Amino acid sequence: MLRLTASITSSNIIVPQLRQFHASAVCCKLQSGRYKITPKRDRPLTYEMANPPYYIAHRKSWNSWDTTSLLDGQRAAETSVEDVFIRRFMTGTWHDLFCSEIIIKRQHNLIRIAGILRQGIPSRKMYFLIGYSEELLANWLQCPVKLELQTVENKEATVFKHI
Amino acid sequence: MSAIVNLRVFRNFQQFVSFRPISNYPTSLNKNAEVQNVEDDDFRALELRPNKSNNMRGNRRKTAYKKTPVHPPRSNKMPVDQDWPSVWPVARVFHPASVPLPLHQGWVEPGITPPGKFANAELMKIPNFLHLTPPAIERQCAALKKFCTEWPKELDTDEKIDHHFPIQITTSDYLHSSPTIRDARARIVTLQVKLSTLHLNSHAKDKLLRLVKERYDPITDILTIVSERCPLRKQNLDYAMYLLNVLVSESWKTEPWENEKSEADMEKYVWEGSQSQRTLQQLLERMPDKAPVLPEDIEQYSTNVTRFHNEGETTENVNTYKESVKKLLGLNA
Repeated sequence: MLRLTASITSSNIIVPQLRQFHASAVCCKLQSGRYKITPKRDRPLTYEMANPPYYIAHRKSWNSWDTTSLLDGQRAAETSVEDVFIRRFMTGTWHDLFCSEIIIKRQHNLIRIAGILRQGIPSRKMYFLIGYSEELLANWLQCPVKLELQTVENKEATVFKHI
Repeated sequence: MSAIVNLRVFRNFQQFVSFRPISNYPTSLNKNAEVQNVEDDDFRALELRPNKSNNMRGNRRKTAYKKTPVHPPRSNKMPVDQDWPSVWPVARVFHPASVPLPLHQGWVEPGITPPGKFANAELMKIPNFLHLTPPAIERQCAALKKFCTEWPKELDTDEKIDHHFPIQITTSDYLHSSPTIRDARARIVTLQVKLSTLHLNSHAKDKLLRLVKERYDPITDILTIVSERCPLRKQNLDYAMYLLNVLVSESWKTEPWENEKSEADMEKYVWEGSQSQRTLQQLLERMPDKAPVLPEDIEQYSTNVTRFHNEGETTENVNTYKESVKKLLGLNA
């Protein structure tokens, strides 16, 4: 509630400004990273999708590796924003070709981007896209970027189970 | 002319682009195609409601390129005695076709085989040390060896090292996985020196300890100076050395006001000129001379009193003090 009052001695009229927000009962439901079972049980899930987030560090590993989360690690916010940008860029540049999450590893100055791709475009185009991504990302992020990609026949190779 | 050139290019890359007349509406061409497909059966199929044929725009992919056959993984052809550091020279994300190991990664119910190494993102996520096998490390050490110098043979004990190099300077470097190499903590310089190497007399040492306060550790006899007020490490180092020089030179100087040091300022108990000595003198003058007090008894008494004051009360100190008092006063109890 925000109420502004002016002094009565002045000739201003007191205008109360009330701002309230409505809160409903809390629904303590966890739904991030979880996929619903389909009636036909034919929804394909990768290993990453099949394990909910509480299995990170137990059955799953992290997707981005850097020193920002260590004690006195610097530049955590900028690194996270860069990660988001890299993932969007890669998903968009390789349109509909990524079969896994994009893995980002940082070593000193170097950013290594890894992932599993579908063999949906000829290899010549892939080489071009690799060079294009490395060049532009290195220019935007101001440090060397290396792409280390793995290709796979079709998406079924990465499917772990059907739900 | 250009057509021939194109064909040559296509043959190299084994790509064939077929030129077909494209139209949205079923033409006579399409009908012919359908008729030809049903040659094997006796009767033609009559489609009352013809579905979208395969040549319609929605069903056709733009250039259904002929996928080039992918080679089998090169791990099949790797000899057992190959030079592994040449295959994996630097840190690299796991590449299953280059690693001739049957690896599996993934949690599955017991009894089921975990997912293999191909198309396994988990194996790619974890750091691997395939670039740091023992032969690779040996080669790197051999390459670095020419930049190393031998440890001098004369410095074989810690005492010799402390004697020749009494000052110890500690600095830290910090590495981050970021485009910047700067870290503010890298400017901090710690200088450590043992006071025994400075050869100070008692007055100089007392003055130095008062100047330095908590930077001196009496158990290890090490004076520690931490300098972090300058922005650069070199500046901090110079400042620490300057501080050491100034401390030593100031501690050797005697200011005129230092003569006003009273008994309350004394850092430890000194017998000469103390109240205890004066009372003892008065006592000895007034005491009936049964036996002349030996000077060594007085000396023993003085050392015991000094020890008592400086080291605190222990049973041993109390006993020796008792003995010396008894000797002084001539009591044999």
